[in-house]
Amino acid sequence: MKIFLIVFIFAIAIGMTACGDKPVEINTAGKPPLKAESHSSAPIATVATEPVVVTAKTRETYQWYCAQCHGTKGKGDGINAKFLTVPPRNHTKAEYLETRTDEQFFEAIKFGGLSVGRAPCMPAWGSTLSDSTIHELVRYIRELCQCEAL
Amino acid sequence: MKKILYLLMGGWFLCSPMLSSASLIQEKKCSECHRLSQESDKKKGPDLFYAGNKFQASWLQQYLQNPVTIRYAGGIQDPGFLKGTSESSQNHPILSTKDAEKIAQELMAITLPDLPDEVNSLDPLTKGQKAKIKYQFERTFSCISCHQSLNLAGKVRGGISGPSLVNAGNRLQASWVANWLKSPNTFSDKSRMPIYEIEDETRLQLTQFIMILKNENIR
Repeated sequence: MKIFLIVFIFAIAIGMTACGDKPVEINTAGKPPLKAESHSSAPIATVATEPVVVTAKTRETYQWYCAQCHGTKGKGDGINAKFLTVPPRNHTKAEYLETRTDEQFFEAIKFGGLSVGRAPCMPAWGSTLSDSTIHELVRYIRELCQCEAL
Repeated sequence: MKKILYLLMGGWFLCSPMLSSASLIQEKKCSECHRLSQESDKKKGPDLFYAGNKFQASWLQQYLQNPVTIRYAGGIQDPGFLKGTSESSQNHPILSTKDAEKIAQELMAITLPDLPDEVNSLDPLTKGQKAKIKYQFERTFSCISCHQSLNLAGKVRGGISGPSLVNAGNRLQASWVANWLKSPNTFSDKSRMPIYEIEDETRLQLTQFIMILKNENIR
């Protein structure tokens, strides 16, 4: 029984200090400051207002930034994957991704995993990528999973 | 004729110290893999046109004699980078002590002008600040996903797409770290790291945290 207790406490400790797998409480205080927040009070368009087209540039952006963890084919097997406590999302699996909305994808990319209650391993890209690029990436992930939000 | 000869000889004597001080980097052909000026094309090795801002001289001397892997996935331009097949980090030439000291000295003279000293007279982090900034390093900014670091037990952990920070405290200059976090574009046109707009206080604490990471703290 003691062993179980120790393992349980240890598991919680890992979850708290590293990239916890369980959905965590949304902590806006821990959200990294972004250009959009620091310079503008305009609402952020988490839904694309114009039709979004995936281009070669979108795929290039995915390869340059996202593939480090999510893999070149989006299977969640990037070079960092085996060193992370929480495996990066497999973007080719529809089962989970169809339960998420495009807005949730957008927020996860822009503000990081914690902002949507997921793992903190996923950083915020909102000061690196423009909103339109993020919308394109959301579309590209939909292409990879061949799924839409249910 | 004699006058011209004297002039040439005088010129040689005057210039030879300058030539010899710049020659070992050229002789060892460092520029084949490293950029020594911002204007040249991106090379497979890390940029060295700000080496004197970035590195600690003692670390450079040791590294050149005994190269260790810092980028386990290779350089970000390497074709094998995303496939985990890069070998660039394992192939650095090994130099003699004398050559290593000379090249380190030459590299330390290569600096960017007007780079602000960001860490002048900072108080050491308190225990509480250290714990808080470690949390932010891992969770708020997700640095651990791409950079190896040390956990509370002194064990190495973290991703490999970015350079390892395990020995950053011996390898890097604090002011360079702070400058990189503030303005990565000063040094790199396009890195694979997210850009953050971090408040100065947090940015300097992150810098101090990174500078605590040292090989001697591995347990």
